[in-house]
Amino acid sequence: MEPTRDTHYTLVDLLDRVLDKGVVLYADVIVSVAGIPLIGVNLRAALAGMETMLSYGVMQEWDQRIRAERSEIGKQGELPLAAGEQVKLRVYGSHYYSEGIYNAWRLGYFYVTDRRVVLYQTAFNGTLFETPLEAITGLAIQRDNHSFSDSQRENLCLSLSNGNIVLLHALDVHKLREAIEDGMNALGLATREIQALPVLDQGTARFLGKDEEVIYRGKMWHMMELPVPGATTTDTWRAGHLYITNSRLCWWYDFDEKVLFEVPLEAITAVAAETRQLGPMLKKDRVLDVIYETEQGKRVACFSGDELPQWEKALKEIIAQQGAVTNEEDVETCPRCGKEAPVRELLERGCGRCGWVSPRLKKQVPEIASG
Amino acid sequence: MPQDDKAQLASMDEVETLITGQGRYLYCVANSGERVSLGPIGIDGSNVYTIPYQNICAVVHKCPAEPYQSTEREMVNSWVLAHQKVVDEAWERWGTVLPLGFDTIVMDKDGVGPEKNVRNWLRNDYDNLKSKLEKVRGKAEYGIQIFWEPHVIAQSLAKTSPEISELEEEMKSKSRGVAYLYKQKLENALKREVEAKADQCFRDFYERIRRHIDNIVVEKTKPGDQNTQMIMNLSCLLARDKTAELGEELEKINSMEGFSVRFTGPWPPYSFVGT
Repeated sequence: MEPTRDTHYTLVDLLDRVLDKGVVLYADVIVSVAGIPLIGVNLRAALAGMETMLSYGVMQEWDQRIRAERSEIGKQGELPLAAGEQVKLRVYGSHYYSEGIYNAWRLGYFYVTDRRVVLYQTAFNGTLFETPLEAITGLAIQRDNHSFSDSQRENLCLSLSNGNIVLLHALDVHKLREAIEDGMNALGLATREIQALPVLDQGTARFLGKDEEVIYRGKMWHMMELPVPGATTTDTWRAGHLYITNSRLCWWYDFDEKVLFEVPLEAITAVAAETRQLGPMLKKDRVLDVIYETEQGKRVACFSGDELPQWEKALKEIIAQQGAVTNEEDVETCPRCGKEAPVRELLERGCGRCGWVSPRLKKQVPEIASG
Repeated sequence: MPQDDKAQLASMDEVETLITGQGRYLYCVANSGERVSLGPIGIDGSNVYTIPYQNICAVVHKCPAEPYQSTEREMVNSWVLAHQKVVDEAWERWGTVLPLGFDTIVMDKDGVGPEKNVRNWLRNDYDNLKSKLEKVRGKAEYGIQIFWEPHVIAQSLAKTSPEISELEEEMKSKSRGVAYLYKQKLENALKREVEAKADQCFRDFYERIRRHIDNIVVEKTKPGDQNTQMIMNLSCLLARDKTAELGEELEKINSMEGFSVRFTGPWPPYSFVGT
């Protein structure tokens, strides 16, 4: 058998090598993004564009200087300005857009000029959000404390003269706020703190009981069993938000805007995560099974989503506090060769097949060796 | 010497890069102190040349100090292929190279131009680079990926495993309801057998391959297509002219029922120069 370099498969093989490997130059003279060297996953994300990197949270500390250098080089798609209009600040950020069931953070560049605030998408030259400075009646910084991924995230809320409150986000929302306030002051406008902050998603306020508080909140898919005429039931995955409050676990169905699943925290007896086929049209993904007691016996509710590991951890902690037993025999796959083995075995002894050892264990070994 | 004269000594290209804020895209380090232009063979037809320090050099082109990025897969592929082409060219010319990963760009910093920063890197890291060059001299990297067809393996295991044939025998005499439970038992038993077989194959193949090579890195396996599953993914370092024996060994594995092997290379030693 001869080695080959010229088939479709060898291109994949080559990409893996060129994108993930090679001599690594750890020096501050390397073009990096926010101090993150462009290797492996970071490089793959960077190749897909800065916006992708930012939305994947690769760059938590966005480096203004590199951004400035970049904008100097590629001056395409700038916001069209009125005659005499001056840009005071231009930063990357997003605006919370909500229309019916559709809601999303839309990304673009904030332009704070001497007359208005605009969120401009340079890729397709579109304005995502715009308000004259005169229309701003109040400002406030709001921190999101309930979400797993965004616990440190701060948003800037602007109340507008039409009664709306808008949510804006940038890596430095304080700087964005300052620029807007400076602009307002220069026009002789008073800047006020908003007193009543909006609830991040409007649903929460409506279903929370008296003295009930949200501990965690996040997007999660839920498998609903729908009755089908003629047959028994069919499984369907629906998009919504999962909540842990101080009394219950519940899931808010975005489309119907109501709580469709709820269980008191003390009724939850176990959680387990495993990879499963989500349905004929969907890809395989991790599914979180929440097992709980009802008067009719044990039931299982299934959830899936990006933050599944955090939910699993949070729920396990809650169960542990209640003295229930968690499932110790969780099976995981080895991150290197894919062998299935109990989580504990993988973490404490490494993979019996390919010899993979968890980074934490690797760190321990030299520590023990050195004394 | 007066200050002015000192300034005059700075090479003109560095003065230029200070003004334009340019960078140097790095392809590889080669074991030659030659200062030479390789022509417009780089990414997007850039002019590739060497920056020497003593008896080693960096192979580079001039570019803006920003990463190459694109959402177009074809674009990325063509850049990576161009990167590889330059590394190959240097490899051909000087025999030994240390390839760098894609998008490694040295920029100017605190008034020091990129050209000088590349040279500083070669100087500061000289011993390390030199010893790495020594380690990979005359050698190349080869990719070995071993696949199996799980259902073929499972079939043959079902025939040979005493536990499974026993269960199958028992199942025949049971009612339909009980037989269903047996079916599940059988599936679980088979799954365990397949996993055990994978462990055994991994060890066996690893040992057989290791005898023919100088160094080995176990890589992540990747999803296969519908009927095949990758059970091993290795990067191996060995002398460029010593692939015949390894090839024979791989041929043996390739001809086993339900198994197939992909053997790629020779590649520059990407997997053996990292840290």
